[in-house]
Amino acid sequence: MNFIPEELVVERGCESSVIFNNLRSTLPQVPVKLVDDVRLGAAGSDSANQFGAAKRKLYLTRHRGEFFKKCPGSEGQVCCNYFVINFASNCPMDCSYCYLQEYLADNASLKVFSNIGDLIDEADRTLRKHRGHFFRIGTGEITDSLALEPYTGIVRELIPYFAEQPNVLLELKTKSDCVDNLLDLDPKGRIVVAWSMNPQPVIDRDEHGTASFAERLLAARRCQQAGYRLGFHFDPMIEYPGWETDYQSMVAEIFASIDWRKVCWLSLGVLRETPGLKRVMRQRFPRTRLLAGEQVLCPDGKLRYFQPQRIRMYRKMVQWIRQSAPTVQIYLCMESKEIWQQVFGFAPACEKELGNRMAPVD
Amino acid sequence: MDWLEEIALRESEPIQRILADKFIYDSNTDPRLGRADRLKRVKEQLRRRRYPRLARTEDKIRSHISALKLHPAIRLSVLPGLEGGQLSVEFQAGSVAEFKAAATKLSDAIPLSSLAAIFNLLSGHAEKEQS
Repeated sequence: MNFIPEELVVERGCESSVIFNNLRSTLPQVPVKLVDDVRLGAAGSDSANQFGAAKRKLYLTRHRGEFFKKCPGSEGQVCCNYFVINFASNCPMDCSYCYLQEYLADNASLKVFSNIGDLIDEADRTLRKHRGHFFRIGTGEITDSLALEPYTGIVRELIPYFAEQPNVLLELKTKSDCVDNLLDLDPKGRIVVAWSMNPQPVIDRDEHGTASFAERLLAARRCQQAGYRLGFHFDPMIEYPGWETDYQSMVAEIFASIDWRKVCWLSLGVLRETPGLKRVMRQRFPRTRLLAGEQVLCPDGKLRYFQPQRIRMYRKMVQWIRQSAPTVQIYLCMESKEIWQQVFGFAPACEKELGNRMAPVD
Repeated sequence: MDWLEEIALRESEPIQRILADKFIYDSNTDPRLGRADRLKRVKEQLRRRRYPRLARTEDKIRSHISALKLHPAIRLSVLPGLEGGQLSVEFQAGSVAEFKAAATKLSDAIPLSSLAAIFNLLSGHAEKEQS
């Protein structure tokens, strides 16, 4: 990862936080600006590419809302009962299909939250209250879980707590290879490090600023050797001339490198975007071929490859995965029961059923 | 305009050359058609070029529906874009006899290979595969 922010904008009161100390010690060359209100410090750039410009500075602020929430999912689609914890907002990478371009269009500044203690307290209240319930919690909904870890050390603060919780799997989802901070910690079977994966040609064309496929795979192997469970998200899957060869090779290479029996789950999802996101993509990445796929508008308001096409894609991926990992848990992200039925021959009865399938068998 | 730009992007062709395509040009210059009809035909040609595999799949499904030779009063259709994977069946009946006639026609269509082919296409199977 080569990201270095141009400036650290720090909300007054955050200087005593562990996160601030980590930022100062790892980024001594980056100027620091203290502000009373980061929202004023984040006032709009003159750049025509405001969303891209917003990623160049790093803001440190207290989070004043809830950290812990249910993943919003997508209306009418099978839900996997996922929860999310947001310790940062936005991401230093710049994938052309990223939904944050639309979702955070009005609040694009790259932020990390200093009050990690509040996050842990809030999680603790929920987890203790519902000890009989299994929680699968992700940290990569509106950020990359590890891309800023070399500077913030946030995940190092979270792992010791979540590793002790009997009813949790905490997922750190990333496109980076920033795992050094994790390797000397004991995850105790409660932490899953997961990579969004695509073949290198897709990474080159549309996953700007991310680690290469080889780098992600090496990081996965290192985490597995350090005792972490793994996950892989083949999402978004992109259809293009030669995609079958590239994706089949990618799957084979992954399972030649890691022990599939230590993989918690794999998810599949095709490229999808709202019409609004497509307009943003067209504006920011006018030459991306992602705009030229045969996508149709689906009932949940998102564009996806037309249904028979994406069923074929899912079936092929499942076939290739099963050749190497015969019993690994595979699920579809944001797809209907009809698609599940066509791909797997069954559909989960409810979100709890699917969520419980992901629970570890210790 | 989006379709034109996306076709140009995918095929690395200038928009002028796309618009000079024979089918599009013929639709746009047919003197027998009014302006609205010409526009409709041009849009359809552009749609077929923008979504070639979707259009071919829809054509195959329409062809199989025709091959079932159902009564004109029975209408089979699929959603544009084939989302949902469902085949819709509509008919109207003014009497028990008409209802029975339509139901019999539909029942007679069940063993026909075209019916299986329609569902194979909707479920992402190649035409020759069995569902």
